[in-house]
This record gives sequence, C-alpha cells and structure tokens, in this order.
Amino acid sequence: MARPHIEPFVDRDVGFKKMTLPGFPKGMQYKMLSLDPDDGACSMTVAFTPGYKQPPGMSYTEYELFIQSGYIVVGDKVWGPGSYFYVPAGVSIEALSSPRGATGLLFYNYGEPSFVESDADHSKAERNRFASVDSYENMQWTSTNFFPATAPGCLVKILRFDQRTQGFTFLYCMTPNFWQDNISYHDCSEEAYHIWGTSWMMQFGDLPTGGYFYRPPYINHGAFASKLGILAIGRTDTQLYNHFHFNPWTNVEENRERAANRILQWKPDLYKWINMRGHNHPVDFEYDHGHAHGDADHHHGDGQVDHKHKKKTRRKK
Amino acid sequence: MNSIPHKRSREAEAWLKREIREQKARYAKIVREQDALAPKRDKWIAEFLERIQTRGVHVHYDQMRKVRPEEIPTQPKRKFKVVF
Repeated sequence: MARPHIEPFVDRDVGFKKMTLPGFPKGMQYKMLSLDPDDGACSMTVAFTPGYKQPPGMSYTEYELFIQSGYIVVGDKVWGPGSYFYVPAGVSIEALSSPRGATGLLFYNYGEPSFVESDADHSKAERNRFASVDSYENMQWTSTNFFPATAPGCLVKILRFDQRTQGFTFLYCMTPNFWQDNISYHDCSEEAYHIWGTSWMMQFGDLPTGGYFYRPPYINHGAFASKLGILAIGRTDTQLYNHFHFNPWTNVEENRERAANRILQWKPDLYKWINMRGHNHPVDFEYDHGHAHGDADHHHGDGQVDHKHKKKTRRKK
Repeated sequence: MNSIPHKRSREAEAWLKREIREQKARYAKIVREQDALAPKRDKWIAEFLERIQTRGVHVHYDQMRKVRPEEIPTQPKRKFKVVF
C-alpha cells in the first residue's frame, strides 16, 4: 500500500504538533501532509522554534528540506527562504540551528523520520549525492520542457532530478491569469504544496496558500486556472508525462489502460518484449544486477506478481 | 541506497500508528468535502465542455484545437468521484 489520495488539504486549517520521535531535539514542530502507512515515508510542514539547536546527525532514509520563511544555520552558513537540501540516507549534516525560528517543508522519501546524532556518515551513505541550493537567488525560471507541455505561463526550477527513475523535485509558478483548458493525468505519483497563491482545478476547486495534494497515478486533474498566480513546490516519484484529454468522467482504470495502450503504440517492440517474455525482470546494465529473486516486481509467465521465492538451501558437501 | 535498514523503535511504531489513524480521518473529511462540491463541479464541467468547443482544448503548450460537438463525451451512469 502506498500513500492515499490526499487532495486538497490546507495546512493552515490545522495546528503544529510537537515532534516526539526519538532522536529529534526539542523545538521542532510539524503538520503531517501525507504518510505512507507501510514504510512511514511522509511529507510535513515543519517549524523550528526560535533558538532551535540540532547537533550533527543523519537519517536512515533520504530526505529533502525546503525553507519557506525565516532562516536556519547549517555549520557556519545561513540558509534563508528558498533554500533546498537533498540529504541521502546516512549522510551526516553539520549542526543546525535557527536562532529566530523558521518554517519549511520536510520530505522523508523511503521511511519514517529519524535522526541519529553523529558527526560522521554511516558506512552506507552516498555523500556524492548530497545537494543544496538557494533556489530563489541562484536559479532562474525556465519553461517546462515536457512534451506535450503545460500552457504558457507555467514555469519551473528543477531542484533535483533522479536519473534512474526520472522523478524530480521542482519549484513551479503560474503567472497571473494563467489558464489551461484540458484534463491531465500522469503515470507517476505527484505532490505539491502552495508556498503562495491560489489556483483552481475543475475537480477540486481552489487550492490556496498552504494548500497541498498527494495524488497517486492516473487521477484526472484540470482544467487549471489562477487569477493572481502562484508559487509552489512539486515532486514526482518517477517520470512525469502529461496524458492530456477532455473527458471529465474517466476513472483510474480507464486512464491506466489508455496509458498502457499508448506505450503499445509508441514502443511496440519493447511492449511486446515485456509482455511476452516468460521472466519479465529486465536488467539495466548501468546499475547493479539486482537479480536476487523478490527484489523487483516480476512474474514467471503466469502474471502473478505477488509471489514469494523459497530460499535455496545449500547442501553440505 | 535510499534507505538504510534499521529496526524501528517502539516509540516510532506508536507514532506511526497515531499518524495513520489521523490520516484516515483527514481522508474521510476530504471525501465528504469533495462530495459536497459536486453541484459546483457539475457547473464547471458544463462550462469547460462549452469552452473547448468555442475557444479550444490545449493540446501542447499554446496549441489548441476546437472540439467538435460529436466528440463531447457523455457522463456514464456510474457514481462520479474525484478522490480515489
């Protein structure tokens, strides 16, 4: 089970709660936006109260932090609104403090929030993947570069792009009087939070400042409009493709089937290979083989993806 | 490696259980609110289906095409929902 469809949710309607998980220092508060019931991965609005101090430490899962207001100090560097961090699992970051308080968004991608005090990386940490940027000052708006693309007036700043999954984290804005008259859905999960401004979607109505959604794949959204414009942060877990159409009443199953049929039309040879091969567990030669049974969805020609493999026992010689 | 294997503490298990319970309540509230929005949504959909015949539907970026009346879909008889 993954995260449910949370749309729309406005965090201004609820109060902050104290973070009580073991390891986290006092002075961190949060509002839960969405949560995966199985692995605890979650997205939260967070507030660091004035005087907050956190020693050097790491998390067991990768996380992303975006500062909305106020500032934090990491090591000896000050990070204000628009600052973004991607911290891989096990990477220790320097002492963090917030002398006058700050608010932000915190995304734990593959597990529940955790904090372990440590001034050294975990042995399995991949420090080379760490990234940080002041996205307001040091990045400029670009067009979306998708095909088919969103309507003119929707601009992005790509904060992080995962080369393997093509999932990405991005700031996006809509210019005043933005409008796009079609309905869209994607093959990926998508989530977004409105840092400022109100936009409208035909299914869900207005999404104001503090508005949030977590939307699983193949769910219709749009038409779209924004009278005064918006600034938002968005994320996907895999590649985002805009499946546009104009039927307001299609459901998830119909949208998924249409997407699969489009793969058949666009990549017939690959589709046939995936569909017809008995053991559909393709390997990417650029990555670890990962062929230990059970580590990726596959079947043995019977279509049964949910199956288990018995461990082979070695005979003693 | 996106996540390092570790044993979840009892406190973390309890926290997760509490958050799951609260999320279920949040989800139910969203469904109720979205069901209540149905009359407005029906009007928005009618206006959208009108607009795409006159001004057009976005196909890519600023490219639009006008939808012919015979292309306009009809609402199926099943229950219409927007939250899944």
